[in-house]
Amino acid sequence: MAKICMVVSEGTFDKAYMPLIMANTAAASGDEVHIFYSFFGTKLVTKKANPKLPGMFRLFTGMFQKKMKAVGIGNYMETFKQAQELGVNFYACSTTMDLMGVKKEDLLPNVKVLGAAAFLKLAVESEATLFIG
Amino acid sequence: MDATLDAKGLMCPMPIVQLAKKVKELKSGQVLELLVDDVGAKEDVPAWCSRTGHQLMGVEEEGKLLKFYIKIK
Repeated sequence: MAKICMVVSEGTFDKAYMPLIMANTAAASGDEVHIFYSFFGTKLVTKKANPKLPGMFRLFTGMFQKKMKAVGIGNYMETFKQAQELGVNFYACSTTMDLMGVKKEDLLPNVKVLGAAAFLKLAVESEATLFIG
Repeated sequence: MDATLDAKGLMCPMPIVQLAKKVKELKSGQVLELLVDDVGAKEDVPAWCSRTGHQLMGVEEEGKLLKFYIKIK
């Protein structure tokens, strides 16, 4: 059982799924997981989250989603919900919420607002910290 | 064998997520058979067992299909 922290700074489809897949695997292995969303990542923990592939690949998001569905991976919100059911902890960066125009009421349920100092405390207490984009 | 989990057709992380869920339904000492054809599972399942303390008793390979036998701790 380990404590794992992740930082997500981008809001695209790939950067949205990777931490959730890692987190769900870790939580299913008995780990305590904390994910901190900053900058463009912040919108991934809002009710309006609908991540698309980056750049021109954006057009292929639906196709990707379909392929993932075929191997048992649900859409973004389903995967997010699964992570919460597995006990993964989600945090939104307080400063970038302001920059990105995200209000507390826009956040998905049980997403906590956190500052850098509080997150760093979690990170130094962790066995691993992963930075996702 | 006390239970079988058929995770064929599922890819990482779903076999592990479902395995963790299934194991919770079983009692200590029971043996679970896991059927999986995700290539990643070959390394993932032993890693998961070593981290969670459940005993991997054996693996059988039938072409792409992997059969894991896991004794619940």
